[in-house]
Amino acid sequence: MEGITKRFPGVLANDQVSFDVRPGEIHALLGENGAGKSTLMKILYGLYRPDAGQIFVNGRAVDIDSPRAAVEHGIGMVHQHFMLVPNLTAVENAVLGLPSRRPPLLDLEAARARLTELSADYQLDVDPLAPVWQLPVGAQQRLEILKALFREARVLVLDEPTAVLAPAEVDQLFRIVRLLAGQGRGIVFISHKLEEVKAISDRITVLRAGRVVGTLPTAGASAGHLAQMMVGRPISLDRQSPPVAGGDTVLRLDQVNCLSDRGVPALRGVSLTVCRGEIVGVAGVDGNGQREMAECIAGLRRPTAGSVAISGTPVRGVVRDPALLGFIPEDRHRTGLILDFDVAENLVLKTVGDRPYSRHQILDWGRIFEHARGMIRRYDIRAAGPWVRVGTLSGGNQQRVVVARETGGDPALLVAAQATRGLDVGAVEGVHQLLREQRERGSAVLYIGTELSELLALCDRIVVLFQGEIMGEVPPDQRLIGRIGEMMMGRRADGEPTDERAA
Amino acid sequence: MASRVGSRLAGTAIAVFLAFAVCAVLILLVGANPLEAYAAMLEGSVGGIAALTTTGVRMTPLLLAGLGVAISFRAGVFNIGAEGQLYLGAIGATIVGLMPLGMPSWIHVPLALLGGIVGGAIWAAIPGYLLAYRGISEVVVTLMLNYVGIYLASYLVDTESGPLGERGASYSQSAQIQTVARLPALVAGTSLHLGLVIGLVLAVALWAMIRWTPFGFRLRMIGANPIAARYAGVRVGNQIVAVMALSGGLAGLAGAVEVIGLRYRLYENFSPGYGYDAIAVALLANSHPLGVVLAAGFFGALQAGANRMQQTVNIETSLVFIIQALTVIFVIAAPKVGRFTFPRRGAGTPIEEARGEAVHAG
Repeated sequence: MEGITKRFPGVLANDQVSFDVRPGEIHALLGENGAGKSTLMKILYGLYRPDAGQIFVNGRAVDIDSPRAAVEHGIGMVHQHFMLVPNLTAVENAVLGLPSRRPPLLDLEAARARLTELSADYQLDVDPLAPVWQLPVGAQQRLEILKALFREARVLVLDEPTAVLAPAEVDQLFRIVRLLAGQGRGIVFISHKLEEVKAISDRITVLRAGRVVGTLPTAGASAGHLAQMMVGRPISLDRQSPPVAGGDTVLRLDQVNCLSDRGVPALRGVSLTVCRGEIVGVAGVDGNGQREMAECIAGLRRPTAGSVAISGTPVRGVVRDPALLGFIPEDRHRTGLILDFDVAENLVLKTVGDRPYSRHQILDWGRIFEHARGMIRRYDIRAAGPWVRVGTLSGGNQQRVVVARETGGDPALLVAAQATRGLDVGAVEGVHQLLREQRERGSAVLYIGTELSELLALCDRIVVLFQGEIMGEVPPDQRLIGRIGEMMMGRRADGEPTDERAA
Repeated sequence: MASRVGSRLAGTAIAVFLAFAVCAVLILLVGANPLEAYAAMLEGSVGGIAALTTTGVRMTPLLLAGLGVAISFRAGVFNIGAEGQLYLGAIGATIVGLMPLGMPSWIHVPLALLGGIVGGAIWAAIPGYLLAYRGISEVVVTLMLNYVGIYLASYLVDTESGPLGERGASYSQSAQIQTVARLPALVAGTSLHLGLVIGLVLAVALWAMIRWTPFGFRLRMIGANPIAARYAGVRVGNQIVAVMALSGGLAGLAGAVEVIGLRYRLYENFSPGYGYDAIAVALLANSHPLGVVLAAGFFGALQAGANRMQQTVNIETSLVFIIQALTVIFVIAAPKVGRFTFPRRGAGTPIEEARGEAVHAG
């Protein structure tokens, strides 16, 4: 793949990315979530069309406009979320979408024989007649690999394949991957786990913010160096004034457990306090319980154990008091804003039913617009007026609308999740400034982020979250970047590695 | 704002024109003159007092039920069970209307209307609850409850065993409701009744509710982005049940005025699909209460004009239902067709997005 560029509205997902994999090689693609790994592979598999760049297979320029074309060019993919039909058997899944050898009837017997043969050859043990929903996760993954082999894949892409596996299964997967590479197949191994990548790959390409940071042979690459490449060198550290002294505890999480939407544990015994006048950062790879943590604090998710209290008040149900909590949720388009509503409406989403915005169940549009005009001035929101649809604003200005709504009531606690994701540099600085103002005003701020450099620049202390547990707390010292990186991969602050649990 | 409404109206006018144009071809194919046919339709719907009152009568249930459907659409809930709710409303109004309460009309009529509202509201609140708290598709449940509602009415008015049935009648029907429980006529000597005025007043009231009350604001919130609404502290489940009850109440009111304003009895299968036409009305109106007035008026006029057209040029009345359906299709399709023709620069195409979603969700 050469010079691949892909733009999404407001985001450059891939910027002139070049990447190659040789026969018999295991090439790891390493990067944080949002670095552009998945986008690049979706382009390779024909799910996205690149805006620029060219894909070559065996030295020949090819046009891959659909997954079918990718398969024809010998590219196989094992997605992070499996693409299997739960009600069908393993063999039925394997032939799904392929032409039958004796149409219009299926030829499952031949397929079964072939699948059994492949199973034996590659130690990919799967019962061909078992319905997929009965198969354990590891077997489903082996079936996905078998599917690709069934389609005679020469290049096999594995997207975060260990995320769903137990440690023993990881070892088995690694054996299989080496066997496949040994037979001359090219393997692309996508991961954000350093140890794993070091253990399995021959070469490593690091992606950050849509760009290739570098490609280097695995032998001789140190974990610390890779971590630096992944998270980027910290930008200038203009440290702020020390925390407002003697701050009272505002947020207290005590042994909080909770479940994710899928009903699996998302937080395990999380205890944390945030005081007046400090910004506490929560570092961690995306999907390690950050969203659930924020939702527990905001009262949007009920902990299964433990307690959450803001300014001594236990959180029960959604916290709507603007003087108590401001909550800047991740993914402003989905959770923070109503894009079809105008600026004025978005600024009163939580308070529209209260005075002065409505009286006797009648909205006072005059007050609502007046409020919006004030906020537009105070937060420097670049919009032609309060009536402008929020969906038409730039990302930075959209985020300003959210920040204005959530900090306009001078909350005791401000929780911000990924508040700068997808924003350009200037807008990021603007949001940081607004957060610092809150801190200096005496608010307690909890900042949830994935960009280490940002957390280091912004926070007074940093806790690291891994699989729903706090790995430890560190001061925001950029010399500790490697250690924080290791903690993000599951190594505790005291150096003891935790056992990797299946997600 | 004004220009948005303007372009919307212009687009709808074009859709109506296209629907008539396509049907003109159909009329030509059966060997009639489309201009003559349309002239007859116009004459039968707006040519004179009698025609206008017919239009008004046909329009009334479409207006009330259309408002109900529109309000659910605005909240992002697809209540397609207006037909069943309309039957339940008719049942409720009939039960109250049959009671010899010995009260004056100005009490008995509102009570009968209330009976209709309650009947429809309960019928819609059931799927609302199942959607809000159990995640069961409201589309399936409301659709199925239509059959339950329709046949419940059939059972109730059965002439042999139905609790409300008139014994020995030649058609399955209830007895006549009390005279004091009847809605007064708007124009003496015609069947146009007060139900139309009720519908018009409610259209304005609903428009104001959506625009001027916190309830309406929250309704629009869950319609535009239920996740953000939840994050903003809206109790989305309660709101959905409330909106469904309101929606069903309006459809129930449509059934109620049909009984106490027009027919004075509950008949088996009395609705020629008002509840289904109401979906088309709401779609044509882009779920705007004032738009519903126009759309219901348009459909009412089409249906009123259909009979004259059949008498004059001998074209099946079913043609007007083709026009109705085509109009809605053109209205809905127009913006989408435009988008496929001119994909926005920079954005992924809808196909790309869908594929990306599928991968993500899979």
